[in-house]
Formats: sequence, C-alpha cells, structure tokens
Amino acid sequence: MSQATANITTKIKMTNISKIFETEELETHALRSIDLEIKAGDYVSISGPSGCGKSTLLSILGLLDMPSGGEFYIEGVNVTDLSLDEAAEIRNSKIGFIFQSFNLIDELSVFDNVALPLRYSKEKLSDEAIKKRVNECLELVAMSHRVSHKPNQLSGGQQQRIAIARALVANPAILLVDEPTGNLDSKSGDQVMDVLEKLNESGTTICMVTHDPRYADMARTQLKLLDGAILTTPELKAAV
Amino acid sequence: MSQFIYQQKQAWASLKKNPGFVTTVLATMGTTLGALLCILTLAYVLIAKPLPYPDQDNLHLVEHHIGDSAGETNASAFTYPGLIYLYKNQTAYEDSALIYYDQDVLTSADSQPTLNTLYVTPKWFSMLDARMHLGRKFEPTEALDTNNPVAILTYDTWVKEFASDSDILNKKVTFKGVSFNVVGILNQSFIEPALAATGLKSQVILPWDYNGQSERGRGSWGNINSSQMFIGKITSGSSLEQISQTLTPLVNDKWREEVAGVEFFNGWNIEMKAVPFKNKILGDSTNTVYLLLAGVIGLVLIACANISNLFMSRTAEQQRQLAIHAAVGATKGKLFKTIFSETGLLMFLSVVIALVIATLGFFVMQQFLALRLPRVDELMINWVTLVSAVSISLLLALFFAGLSSRMINYRALNSTLQSSGKGTGIQVSKNIRKFLIISQVAVVTCLVFVNISLFKDSVKTINQDIGFHTDNLMYVTFASSGTTLPERDMRKQIMNEVREKLEALPQIEQVVQASSPLNGFNIWATTVVATNERFTPESKRIDQNYFQMIGQNLIEGDLFTVADIKDENRVAIVNEAFAKRVSPSESAIGKQINFGGDEHTTIIGIVKPIHIPGDTDESILRTYVPTSLAENAMIMQLKPESIVSREQVVSVLTSVTSQYNIFEMELLDTQKSQLLFTQYTTAITSAVLAVITFFLAAIGLYGILSYSTQMRRFEIGTRLAIGAKRFDLIGLIIKDNLSSVILGMILSILILIALYLGFSEALADYINLSLLVLFVITVALISLISLFACYWPLRPFINRPAIHSLRGSD
Repeated sequence: MSQATANITTKIKMTNISKIFETEELETHALRSIDLEIKAGDYVSISGPSGCGKSTLLSILGLLDMPSGGEFYIEGVNVTDLSLDEAAEIRNSKIGFIFQSFNLIDELSVFDNVALPLRYSKEKLSDEAIKKRVNECLELVAMSHRVSHKPNQLSGGQQQRIAIARALVANPAILLVDEPTGNLDSKSGDQVMDVLEKLNESGTTICMVTHDPRYADMARTQLKLLDGAILTTPELKAAV
Repeated sequence: MSQFIYQQKQAWASLKKNPGFVTTVLATMGTTLGALLCILTLAYVLIAKPLPYPDQDNLHLVEHHIGDSAGETNASAFTYPGLIYLYKNQTAYEDSALIYYDQDVLTSADSQPTLNTLYVTPKWFSMLDARMHLGRKFEPTEALDTNNPVAILTYDTWVKEFASDSDILNKKVTFKGVSFNVVGILNQSFIEPALAATGLKSQVILPWDYNGQSERGRGSWGNINSSQMFIGKITSGSSLEQISQTLTPLVNDKWREEVAGVEFFNGWNIEMKAVPFKNKILGDSTNTVYLLLAGVIGLVLIACANISNLFMSRTAEQQRQLAIHAAVGATKGKLFKTIFSETGLLMFLSVVIALVIATLGFFVMQQFLALRLPRVDELMINWVTLVSAVSISLLLALFFAGLSSRMINYRALNSTLQSSGKGTGIQVSKNIRKFLIISQVAVVTCLVFVNISLFKDSVKTINQDIGFHTDNLMYVTFASSGTTLPERDMRKQIMNEVREKLEALPQIEQVVQASSPLNGFNIWATTVVATNERFTPESKRIDQNYFQMIGQNLIEGDLFTVADIKDENRVAIVNEAFAKRVSPSESAIGKQINFGGDEHTTIIGIVKPIHIPGDTDESILRTYVPTSLAENAMIMQLKPESIVSREQVVSVLTSVTSQYNIFEMELLDTQKSQLLFTQYTTAITSAVLAVITFFLAAIGLYGILSYSTQMRRFEIGTRLAIGAKRFDLIGLIIKDNLSSVILGMILSILILIALYLGFSEALADYINLSLLVLFVITVALISLISLFACYWPLRPFINRPAIHSLRGSD
C-alpha cells in the first residue's frame, strides 16, 4: 500500500500514550500505555466503569488535552507536541467533537452555531459556500426546519443533533463522541444513535465513549477500558 | 433583637471566609466615602453654614472703587482720609469699625519675630462677638484719636510666642518703638474673618491710632492703600443697593471736593459698594468646591460600580447556599434580610473608616490649603458629616442588597439545588454588566481628562518663564525700630554703610538696593505729557544694578547710572508693554511722563516684561524709577554654593546702627515657590486623583470582565474545541465589550460638553486646542486598561489545553 493511501485510511494512531495528573500530594495515572489505531470508516466505542479514564482518552484524541508520554498521529501527521494554536488548527480541520452537554452557544442561532467551525478555518470561505455546507449538514441530521431558532428553544435531542451537524461541517477526519445520550431521555437517545449509525454507514469514522452497553454494542469495534488501560480479551482455545 | 444579633453574627462569619472581598470593599468604599464626606462637609461650611458671628447676614464690608473718566474701575482701595471721613459721617450702619492689616517686628522679644498685626477700632470686637480668654477687649478708651497704647493677643500667639505666660496681663509688647500694655487674650475658639486674604491670621490686635500709615499718607486724598478696610453692621432692613447708594454720594462728593485741583482725577468718581461678609470671604471658591464635589462624586460612582459587581458575583457564587436557605423555609424577604445584614455590616465598617479618613482630610486641608480655601478652620465632623455618613451608608447597603437579591430567581432555586451548578443558574445579567462597563468608562474618562488638564495647566504655570532669574538671590528688608525714622541724610548714610558691609561678606557677590522683583510694586497715577493720557502702571524703585542682577534684559536705551541714584534724577525705565502705550508709533525713549507735581520724568530705557506668578493680565504696565540711597530694601546675590544666615546679617546691621532691625529675609526661590503654592498643590492633587481614578477603574473593569469571562467559560472551551485560536478568543472578548467601552467614551464627551456649557466662565481659560491632544491621551489610556481587562482574565483559559475550560461542563 502506498504511503498516501496508508495516510488516508489510518485516521488515528496512538502509540504508548500515557496521561498522569499531578497535584501536590499525589500522582494519578489516568492512562497507561494506550495503543490505538482507528481506520477510515471505523465505528469504535470505548466503555468502562466511571474513573477508568475514557473521558481523558477522548480529550487527548480530540487534542483538547496533551498526553504525558507516547506518540499520536492523525492522518499521518504527528500531533504529539503541538503548540496551543497549532492544536487548534488541527482540531478545526480534522476533528469533530460532540459533547455530552451539547455545548451549543445560546446567543447564536442554529445556523451560526453550525457555521462556527468554518469561521475559524484557515481558508476563508465565502458566505455562499458556508451557507451551502451548513444546510447540507443540517439535512444530514434532519434539522433543516429549525435553522433560525436559538438552542434554548429546542429539545435536548434536537440540540444534540445540531451539535452533530456542527461537528460535521468542516468535513473532519473523525467524529469524537463523548456520552452523546447522557443528558437525553431514551427516545431522543435512540434517535441520536440512529443519526450516528446512518453517518457511519455513509463512511464517517466515529469513535464514541459511552457507558450504556446497548449503545456500546452498536459500534463494530468495542474497546473496554479499566484503570487506564485497554483490556485485551485472552484468546480462548476451543476445548477439545 | 436576638434575631438581629444572630443575623449579624452570621453575616460576620460568612464575610470572614472571604477576606479578599471584605478588604476590597472596605478599602474602596472607605476611601471614596471618606473623600466624599470631607468634601460634603467643606461644601456645607463654605456654602450653607452661617459664619460664626451673630447676625452674620447683616455684617458688611464696604468697598471703595475708584473709577476713571471712562467709567472703568481703576482701583479698589480706600484713601486714608476718605476712610476716616466715612467712619465719622456715615449713618447707614448702627455699628462700624475700621481695620488695618500690617506686619511689625516685636522688638521686645529676643528673637524679634515679625508678627501679623491688626489695627482696629473697639466695635470690631462686639460686632464679631469676640470673647476673651483672659482680660478685656477694646473699650471706648481705645476709640479713634485716643492714642491709648494697649494690645490684645490671639490665643495661638499667647501660646506660641509667650509660652502661655499666666502673668501676661502685666506685660508689655513693643512695636516700632511704642510699648503696648497687654490687656487681653482672645478666646481660642475665635475665628477672624478673612477679609484681606484667605488664610491670613492676625497675631496681635492694636488700637487703630497706631497703624503704620505715614503722616503724609493720613492726609493724602490721592493715595490708596488696600490694607485698610471698613466694616459695618446694619439693624434696619436696608438692601445692599440702598446702602451703597447712600454711601456713594457721601464719599464721592467729599473726594471730588478734595481732589478738585488735581488734573489727573478729572472726571474720576468713587463708587461705594456694600458686600456681605460671606460673599467677600468666599470669593470664587464656590466654583472650586463644586469642582471638587463633582470629582469626588465621580470617584464614588466608580467605586459603587465596582462594589456592585463584587456583590453580584458573590451572590452568584452563593446561589447554592441561598437555595438551601430557601429549601429550609426562608421567604424572599428573609433572604433579602440575610443579604442586607452583610451589606449593612460592610457599609457600616466602611463609614467608620470613611470618618477617620475625612478627619485626615480636614487636617490636610487646614495644613496645605488654608491659603486657597476659606473657612478651613471651621472644618470638623459636624451633624452634616454624620447625617450624610449614616444616610449614604444606609442607602448603599439597601442598594447593594436589593441588587443582589433581584438576581435570585426565587422560583427556580430548587433547580439550583438539583443541578451541579452548571448551565445558567444565577448570573449577573448581560445588561447590568454592559451598564457597569459603560458607566465606569464614562466617569473615568471624564475624571482622568479633567485631572490631566488641571495638572498640565499647573505645570505650565510653574514652568512659565518669569523673565528673570531667582537662584542665589536673597531679599532683606530693614524696618525702623523707633516711632520716627531718622533724618533722610542719616538714613542714606546708614543704608549705604549696611550695603557696603554686606557686600564685604565673603559669601556675597553683590548687593542691590531694591525690593524683591517678585513684589514691591505700587500703583502710581501717571500721565503721558505729550498726549495727556492717564495710566496707572505698577511702579517700583530700584538702583542702577537691579536689572543686571536679576537678568531682566534691556531692549532699548540705557540703564540707570550711579549718578542717577545719587542725584535722584527724574528718569524712568519702562517695560515693553508700557512703552507701546506711551508711544505706539515711535520709540518711547526720550518721551516724558508725569507722576503728579510740576516736574516731568524722562524715559531713558525699555526692558523686557516679566511675569510674576499670580499675574492675571498678560501685558501689565510697569515703570521703574531710581530709588534713593536711603532705600531700606536690598537684594543680595550669593556666591555659588554659599548661604548667609539671619544672624550674620543681624550682626552686620547692629555693627552699623541700632535704629533698624530685620523685617523680612528670604531666598527669592522660596518666595517664588510660595507664590506658586497653589499651582504646586493643584498639580499634586490632580496627579494623585488621576492615578487613583485610573487604578480604581482598572480594578473595576477587570472585575466586571473577569466575572463575565468566567461565566462564559464553557463557551470559551467549546470555541477552543472547535478550533478557535487564542487570538480569536481575545478578539471575541474585545469585540463583545468594544461597543460598551465606546459608548462610555461618547457618554463622557457629552458629560464634558455639559460641564463646559454649565461652567463656561470658570473654564473659559482652560479651553484650547491642546485639550484635544489631552483627550486623545485619556482615551488611549482608558483603552489600554480596557484591553488589559479583556485579556488578563482570559489567560488561564487560553494558555492551557482546552479541556481545562470544559471541565465541569458534563
């Protein structure tokens, strides 16, 4: 396989990633020796008990935090030791983050919320180009009819779908999803998971953190995290 | 009652946990309220409080205005015989008194100090209700023409100069060769009305008959002296105009009769004007007080905006606690009371601090501003101060409590309990924050601008070129020790010898016979012979070396020669301004002027004009004529790095004569600084105020913006997560607050314009193009602190990985 194709197909590559939180009195090893590879079109879920480090892992994946050790590549680019501004650029172009509490900006309309990543992008897009792209994404999540509303006028499920549209708008390499249904009732939660499934079917790479086993099962690859390390299932030999 | 105590205890316990907050509130409110109370008391004393004399509305000072043939007031001072004539013949006032201000050397004391003397007629005491600490006041035994040598000391003089001698009533004091029996000591609480100059306090009171006016002066209807005054007390209901109209013909007719033969006064008239004491004493200081009041209120407003923000942030932080109070049954009113006990306690403590600071302020004003502000002796914590203090603190406590409790959505409190504290909850509303920013920026811009303007103005006056130099120069004036002066020839001999011996001192380079260039001018009636035009220039007697010693340049013609002084020639040197008036088209050299009498004086030289600090007119007319060798005022030029002491000069003097003593001796530099005292005070005060205002504003704006940045924490984190760079976020905060800052500045421009229109007379001198530059500087400074306030609170968020802003959002 040529290097070019290899870059495109391997979206995320983490080698020996660790994260240590230090306070005056103690050292917490939140992540130890994480090795992770996510390829294009994957649907990965990461689950585990609370305190296992899954949110920490996701924030490192999303360049929201810096690892204490190890190496991290996104689409073949080494992103382990970036400055804050360089990290911001990568986040803008390659990562779409979906938060548990939606994190939409109340003062902006739905349209402006979804358009926000495009306004921070390095290449300046024209107003028509932005409009076109935003409407595309809103259609993908079936929220075109609410384009002028404010987030606090929408239900939780609707807000989360807007957040998904925002995450998609810059055509990221991967969608990182942090407990998407944690603040939703089961019906809305199912709707949101539906949207994610459809997106993945059309080729979007997704890495999701969840503690709901029903939703974890919807992913093709399921990673379990415990005490900062990925659990590997020992191979079973068939009893003869 | 126990409930009240309980609440106070709770308030105190709660506040104790947040010492930073308490310190900021107490410091800010304490100092600004202290300044406010101080100025409020000053305003009350100056404007509302009656003078400490009975029937003070009926106490008048009568002014004597001499108008020339064009109707312009040429001078405002009495002639000696005119004053006596008025005193003896007027019927408008039931009680009246004469006052003469002077300074004399107390020759009976070892140190021979120069004291402020006051010569009065007996009714002065009863009109001002002067009470005595010891002895008696002046009686009819000291009336006009009784020549009874008695003296009364003020309380301070008795303490300072006579060490509170209990036997003082058996002692005598000697001035100008006359021994006065001390018959009384004035009460400590007596306050002399400052009719001559603000802050002037007399030290010894003597009978009118002994005043320093010469024999010739006592009979001259053409000489005026501003040290002599007439005061009267009316019992009838006559208005000021009525009194003025009664006295004018009385004095004017007599004066015209007496000066009928003097050509200079042809067509000139006297106008009498009765002025209430209060108007005279206050002068134009009401403007100063209003300015100070405006400034201090501005400071208080800034402080209030800051504290409001602090209280509201505190309430937002306490929302969980307040929710718990509500959950266990506190009503809305009870929550208000809880907050009120905290604000009340803080305001009460602030006011206590404020009263201490106000007292300090009174002390500072009495020490440093006694010459600038009248009635500062009457400044003390009085009922006005206390009532203002209590009501302001109560109002502020209620206001802050109200502001805070309005923030609480009582119905939604339960949601605060259940949520982890994220999301909306209690916040300081965006509009309030905007208002706080706008008001702060507006007030600060105004205050800083005004203060910088005042500062620049004072500095300009201080640095203004006066046209001559004062370094290494010292003036000394000698006064005669006896009642009569020695014979003229004797005086020439004495002064000549004194001058020669002074010049012989190793520290002294040269001695000139003239009074200090910073004073010593009299007004002389002068007529230009060729055109018969009349002028009243300031005139001074000098010797041949005067101009050269002080470095005042000769533009045209010659200086005086030794012969001019010795022979007392009738020559004059004029300044450029006067030269132009004497002879507009050609050189004034050779032109003749007349000072009254038959002989004319010829102009032989023209000098560059000088600008004495305090000169209000740009082109004052000045004339210089030769002094005689008997001149008793001298200027000594010291060699570089040398000093000469009073004792050294005294020993030179006593080696020549015992008939004179030193009246005054001072460095010209010191004298100049004293004249510029007001400017120095203004410069320092305005600089300090500007810095304090700036500081308060920086703290305030930072506080508000820090709070709003905190509130937008999750939004900031989200934007970072989406890919905003650090600069994008700084730009965001600046953009969001830019409109408020700009609005604030526009508001300040409107306020300044309103101030200008309202006080246009007082401010007319200050307005010019350089103000625009100053305003731009002010705007730049305010923009700087606004930018700082936008950027600094952002730092913890943008200089760390984005996750730190997002933590807690889930």
